[in-house]
Amino acid sequence: MIQLYRISKYYEGVPALREVSFRVNKGEFVFITGPSGAGKTTLLKILFCAELADEGQVIIQGINAFRLTSSNIPYLRRNIGFVFQDYKLLPHKTIFDNIALALKVVGTPYGEIERRVYQVLKKVGMEEKRHLIPPKLSGGEQQKIAVARALVNEPQILLADEPTGNLDPESGKDVFRLFKDINMKGTTVLVATHDWETVRKMQRRIITMAQGRVTDDGSQSPQHTLTTGPLPADLGITTRRPFDTKP
Amino acid sequence: MKGYRLFYFIAEAFRGLRANSIVNLLAVGTISMAMLIVGFFLLVFFNVQNAMNSLGDQLEMSVYLKDGLTNHEKDYLFSRLKAEAGVRKATYLSKAEALTLFKKELKGQETLIQGLGENPLPDSFEISIDHRYANSQRLETLVKKIAAYPGIEDVSYGKQGVEILTGFLKLLMYGGTALAVLLGVSIVFIISNSVRLALYSRGQEIELMQWIGATRHFIQGPFLIEGMMLAMLGSALAIGVLAALFYLLPQEVILFLSRPNGLDFLPPAVITYIIMGGGVLGLIGGFISVNKFLD
Repeated sequence: MIQLYRISKYYEGVPALREVSFRVNKGEFVFITGPSGAGKTTLLKILFCAELADEGQVIIQGINAFRLTSSNIPYLRRNIGFVFQDYKLLPHKTIFDNIALALKVVGTPYGEIERRVYQVLKKVGMEEKRHLIPPKLSGGEQQKIAVARALVNEPQILLADEPTGNLDPESGKDVFRLFKDINMKGTTVLVATHDWETVRKMQRRIITMAQGRVTDDGSQSPQHTLTTGPLPADLGITTRRPFDTKP
Repeated sequence: MKGYRLFYFIAEAFRGLRANSIVNLLAVGTISMAMLIVGFFLLVFFNVQNAMNSLGDQLEMSVYLKDGLTNHEKDYLFSRLKAEAGVRKATYLSKAEALTLFKKELKGQETLIQGLGENPLPDSFEISIDHRYANSQRLETLVKKIAAYPGIEDVSYGKQGVEILTGFLKLLMYGGTALAVLLGVSIVFIISNSVRLALYSRGQEIELMQWIGATRHFIQGPFLIEGMMLAMLGSALAIGVLAALFYLLPQEVILFLSRPNGLDFLPPAVITYIIMGGGVLGLIGGFISVNKFLD
């Protein structure tokens, strides 16, 4: 599902990631932890093609991210849900419209939008609040809406960057419970967080980072590591667009 | 493009127009001023051209014949002239008929020609010109061609008047084109600025759309339509103001300015072109801003 091979990223010569390699299989739930500045957000941005790595290879769903043209990136993103720490909800739009936007951009017919938004709101237990605007909701509720928006296109991968960073412990637990449910249904989940307590309780694979390096991979096994051997010229990688979401 | 996507673009464009209503109103006002100037020039141009056409219908040319031509030679010249492109009608005027006409024109002052003895006027053909030939260049070519016929002494027409009108029409055309280009660039600039403001006010939404997989075209669409609508509204307003000014103009002014058939307003096809042209300029302005913003 996701393969990183010796990824390095520099900002004005300062390394943010150094030779990061790992593999995430389909349906896995992975925590990426580490202190601030460890490179967690940079790593997620690279996986989301918001940043380009300076060295190494990134393969997402069989696609070599380096070979993606800018016009193809939106199609990759439609298969990856992203949950932000600051929710990134549009304050002047209703909850319904915030989620519907994710369907509109992929060209979902109007008739189907209503059904799918209601379905996903039900999944996160927020269907009653669909007519409200985000500022009327608590932080936890807003994050649930952000999760609903990330899920509405039924992505195969869900990335979350410090999703509970702005939430109280109880709301944080709700959000993680949601991630767990989503993962149970087959979605691959990668969560960058420094909420150690939750991470330990969830008992999932933990990749620990510090100063841009992977210092520990909780479930390091041959099937997860990609740290040895020469740089693969082509790991059966394709640049064709295998996504079925283009309208 | 799927229907619902176009519907989404239009709905979003209207939302954008409403959201920045004051800025957009200012833009529409400024565009309408620019388009008003373009429209005014076109109005003058069309009326001068109409006047030229009317004058062209009345324009006559005198082809003077050399003395001593036989009837057979005159008949040959007559048929050649009638077949000439640009000649609508030709009539023969003998020197005797010409003198009679001349005397009529001198009514009361016949004494001026009493001492001449022999009739000094030549035989001639009076030619009516097709209005499409009513410009100095084409007329001059026609004159040269006819003057080269055997047996032709001279050819004359109201050269000075035609030259003045043709020059004025050229001045209007070139000046108007230069002005239209200049104003077109200004319109693109105005639209580009209005759309840029709309883009900044919706920057958060655009960023989010990029994160959730919106293509460049999907983001561009509403802003292009917004730019197009702004320019079309401005152009339509300009036409409206021009029409109001035209039809509210006092009759005395119209009579003073008008040619024999009166003044005409812009033809519907030209009005359509002005509004569509405005739309294209709006599209260009919107395209420039959106591309700069997304790059």
